[in-house]
Amino acid sequence: MWEKLFYREKGLFLQSLHPAAMLAYLLVFLLLCLLYENPLYLLALFFLLALLNLEAEGREAWEGFLKGGLLLVVLIMVVNSLVIRAGSTVIWSGPAVPLWGKLQVSLEALYYGATSGLRFLVLLSLFCLYNLVVSPDKLLSLLAGFAYYSVLAVVLATRFFPVVVRNLLRIKEVQELRGVDFNQGTLWERVQKYSSLYGVLLLSSLEDAMGIAESMQARAFGSGKRTLYRHHLWRPRDTICLAGSLGAFSLALWGWFHGYGRYEFYPEADVLIKDAATVGILLLVCLGLSLPLLLSKGWKRWPFLRSKI
Amino acid sequence: MALFKVENLTYYYPASAEAALRNISLEIREGEFLLLVGASGSGKSTLARVLAGLIPDFYGGKMGGRVLFKGREMRTLDRRQVAREVGMVFQDPERQLVKTQVEAEVAFGLENLGLPLPEMRRRVAEVLAFMGLEPVKGSFIAHLSGGQKQKLALASVLAMQPRVLVLDEPTSQLDPASAEEILQLVRRLNEETGLTVVLAEQRLERCLHLADRVILLARGEVVCEGRPAEVAQEIAGADPLLLPPVARFFTRLGVSPVPITVKEGRQILLGRLRPEGGPAGRPTPAPTKNSPVRGGNPAAVEMQGVWYTYPQGNEALKGVSLNLQKGEFAVILGANGAGKTTLVKQMVGLLRPDRGKVWALGKDVGRGGFKEIRGRVAYLSQNPNDYLFQDTVEGELLFTIRNLGLNERTLVDELLERLGLLKYRNANPRELSSGERQRVALASVLVARPQLIVLDEPTRGIDYRLKAELGRLLREEAEKGCTVVVVTHDVEFAAEYARQVVIMHGGEIVAEGEKHALLGNSLFYSPQMARLCRGFCEGVLTVAEAVEKLGSVIGSGSVREGVPEGERRTLWPSHGAYGLRS
Repeated sequence: MWEKLFYREKGLFLQSLHPAAMLAYLLVFLLLCLLYENPLYLLALFFLLALLNLEAEGREAWEGFLKGGLLLVVLIMVVNSLVIRAGSTVIWSGPAVPLWGKLQVSLEALYYGATSGLRFLVLLSLFCLYNLVVSPDKLLSLLAGFAYYSVLAVVLATRFFPVVVRNLLRIKEVQELRGVDFNQGTLWERVQKYSSLYGVLLLSSLEDAMGIAESMQARAFGSGKRTLYRHHLWRPRDTICLAGSLGAFSLALWGWFHGYGRYEFYPEADVLIKDAATVGILLLVCLGLSLPLLLSKGWKRWPFLRSKI
Repeated sequence: MALFKVENLTYYYPASAEAALRNISLEIREGEFLLLVGASGSGKSTLARVLAGLIPDFYGGKMGGRVLFKGREMRTLDRRQVAREVGMVFQDPERQLVKTQVEAEVAFGLENLGLPLPEMRRRVAEVLAFMGLEPVKGSFIAHLSGGQKQKLALASVLAMQPRVLVLDEPTSQLDPASAEEILQLVRRLNEETGLTVVLAEQRLERCLHLADRVILLARGEVVCEGRPAEVAQEIAGADPLLLPPVARFFTRLGVSPVPITVKEGRQILLGRLRPEGGPAGRPTPAPTKNSPVRGGNPAAVEMQGVWYTYPQGNEALKGVSLNLQKGEFAVILGANGAGKTTLVKQMVGLLRPDRGKVWALGKDVGRGGFKEIRGRVAYLSQNPNDYLFQDTVEGELLFTIRNLGLNERTLVDELLERLGLLKYRNANPRELSSGERQRVALASVLVARPQLIVLDEPTRGIDYRLKAELGRLLREEAEKGCTVVVVTHDVEFAAEYARQVVIMHGGEIVAEGEKHALLGNSLFYSPQMARLCRGFCEGVLTVAEAVEKLGSVIGSGSVREGVPEGERRTLWPSHGAYGLRS
């Protein structure tokens, strides 16, 4: 299951985009997610990312991210509701707590917590999409100029993650047949059992790491100034996607300065849709961000479009 | 001038009191195909690393003597220069690939050499085409097969256009087909491009005939060197177990020079014996010492119509039925992906069938899983390192005893002695050699006195001697009544030690039966001796059987090369199964 969370080459349209175009696209998503406070706008980003993750054949990976994130969303909502007292519509009053005062939950605080949780889910979906469509090797060649070693570490992690998972499962099987029952015993006993499991994995991984280091040295790694094998073709699809991303971002910025996408939660929450322009701006931003998705759909269905982009 | 000149080389690994290489002196000429042979721990991998410049640069340690490359001492060459001139391919394909994608991996070394982009693009394209990797150039490396990964490792080194290619047992982790492909590629490179090749190997049947010159190492010293046939002759006297079965057979008969391939061996037989007429005239294979009749024993493993599909959708077993009796020694053969490992995992309850029934040792493991037979079954996975994490060898055995709630401490001493591990009792198992590690892993599962022993690829990467020791041990266990099942690609091992052979293909059992009946009639799943004797004497699988059946005819040194034809003729019987070539 864990393997699904990492990049795998599937021959998808989204994976064929130039890494610079794809990174620009994902960066726009990130900035908009941090910029927008209007729940409707965040919901639209979430919906769009859901479609993109599905288009990248990442349903399982995305669901995995969401399942892990939902607990945190609930936690954010609860903590925010209890901590923030700025809301005017109190929906529950609890007992007084020493040093804290009277516990109370307002509708606005709950609403704000839910919106923060939504933003968190948008970020998770974005991260999931990044893992699905950006090849670490391509990223390495793009960023090698200023973050080579960091990206190389990511490349190595991606390369070896499936190996480590496979090793872990095999070692667990071996230990089970040697009499280790991972489901029995007290919590401490189980921790000890798992620690021995991870001990084997760690030792084997360290030996693998030595092998890799030796192989890298044999191929002159670290022997002096290196060059970069950069072989990414810039196609019309990249121009279209980059234009869509930049257009959407420019429009979003203009709208934000004019109040579209901003939202006040306290003391009383704003109206969700102030006017037609609120929806209009959102639709146009979404249209710009939908271009890779639309092209991907068309790329699969129409050979003519495929030959042109 | 020699490309490499090694003078009085002695080397100690860090913190080791024993020299890994002792007083080695040799020369390697440009364009030569040099084979380094020797048992595990003989020093061939260490010598290969010295030639690749990794020792002492990467490993440290103490080194005496000199290693000259093109007349210059290697220590004085900078690392980039060494990497540009000498490329190295390692044993395990999994441990030498860095990137996630094939094309990027090939370019990795070129980037490190600082080559300009157009040059890199040309070299990458050239190498991918030469190695036949073009169709997978955009693939994710994790999805490649072991053979493809090793080919990729070779490609990424070749892209750097070295003058010397050093390979350290590059086929030891591969199935026979992939191993053959890699070796043929290396041979082509040597013949077509003049690349100097240094190959360290211990499975000589694969490569002895490819080399121009062979160096035999033992305990870090050069024992002998020369042309393959000359060295085979020397090995025959010193350590015949190192030789391929064909050479071992003729050595036992005193034939000289020793043939090293089936083709050469058959030429000798053709010169002495008349092939039998046709299949009708072939003698029926007789049961030998290794094939006792075991009819009537209760079933140790019974599988009925087992189907299994992995969660990813790969249908690994398709209606497999199998019955293994108590005391059976069965070997499962088949190509990669045939379903061998899945089959044995079903036997020990690690996987449960989607459909069908699996009983092991009388328990329904298909329903209850491994817990039904835990403590009565020993399972050795492909990687012995999976078993080793205790501080001492003894600790590994005690770990199993403790977990299974056994009271078998006396067995610890017995097993350690039997497996030759007594002197390593308090040693850290991770510091032992690969063969010793495997024995520790085996001891850690045998300590439970299992009734069913299942081993997955136990002969991978171990030398002839260790393989023989393992085979003997397993045969002893089978004779004691324990059922032994071995998954392997090693047909020679199956021929020598097993009684029953199962051949799998595409998730199904395509053949099953007594080894002589099955391997003797097979073309590709047949051991060297069966290939050698085909047409002369059927049903022969091992050197011992061949000596038993043909020894009286060829023996007593009477067939040595150079014996006058007329004199030789009088030595052959003119009747029976073997006749004179007229």
